[in-house]
Amino acid sequence: MDAITAASAVSDPTLHLISTFIDNAWVYAAIVLVLLFIGERRDSKRIKIMFSLALVVLVGMAVKASLAVDRPCIGQSSCPADYSFPSMHAAVAFALMIAFLDKKSFIFYLLFALFVSFSRMNLGFHTFRDVCGGLVIALVAYYITDRIWERLEKRGAKHG
Amino acid sequence: MDKETGRQLFHLIVGLFALGLLLHFGRSFTAAAVFIVIIIGTLLMNLRLLGFKIPLVTWFEKNFEREGAKLPGWGSACYAAGNLMLLTFLTDTYQIAACMIILALGDSVSTIIGRLGKNKIPYNGSKTVEGSLAFFIASLSAFLFIGPLGIALAALATVVESIPELEDNLTIPIACIALMLIL
Repeated sequence: MDAITAASAVSDPTLHLISTFIDNAWVYAAIVLVLLFIGERRDSKRIKIMFSLALVVLVGMAVKASLAVDRPCIGQSSCPADYSFPSMHAAVAFALMIAFLDKKSFIFYLLFALFVSFSRMNLGFHTFRDVCGGLVIALVAYYITDRIWERLEKRGAKHG
Repeated sequence: MDKETGRQLFHLIVGLFALGLLLHFGRSFTAAAVFIVIIIGTLLMNLRLLGFKIPLVTWFEKNFEREGAKLPGWGSACYAAGNLMLLTFLTDTYQIAACMIILALGDSVSTIIGRLGKNKIPYNGSKTVEGSLAFFIASLSAFLFIGPLGIALAALATVVESIPELEDNLTIPIACIALMLIL
């Protein structure tokens, strides 16, 4: 285990409670959607961000299945059943962060992404490598989304 | 020295520095360093987009940023992301080193040599055959880390680098990772 993953294993009941709360996929999805709708007022940008989040999930699931990296908590009772790399929670949080790169609220989304990443390592469900993988997938997914949007906008402008 | 040559030399120095970190301190340490660079980089990009003038960032942009860049620091962010991708998706240090040296050397050498070339690649008017050849020769340095497989890796990276309109700092690592995982 790397030093960052090991250092994140601090024992704090409040932190553990919050981490367990956001571990639930539905709760986490709801939090992400609320943050998205609070932070972005434009419908077109909201759709773009949701597209990039969907792409993050799809790419993340494909990478998880193809690399099949075991969880660091494997064998423990509370360990998730699926594979570890990359951290989907971190990937989604980083994709949301990148979407707000040009806004004053960016710092909040950055801290949110770092907290989510830390919480995943704190629970023992992910390693620092999984979190880094999440950041990479978020960057690539947002880049692809941006390219697709650029083309769609050009096509839209051409057709009036 | 013109801006593009300076940019490529900076790209080369940073890439070789990251490679040195990998070989000396290992994968986890290098990944952590690149992760921190990306996080600080996005924060600086945000401040720049909000109109803040940060002397070091302004100097960097003036001297190293490509004209008409999508965002301030976009090229550097993609380069860092490409390196982080190699450091997290691959586990063998020498495979990572082989891909990192292609990313560092190949891109820099091909841009510097390619600008002197006269024969355009048929499907990409912005790149030259001489540049691609220089990219391939420089990429053969991957041989130092992974032996004959480095030749196949160099050939694949050369083809991917020549594809128009794509961010090669991302597409080259994706292609290298795919080849390493398949073989």
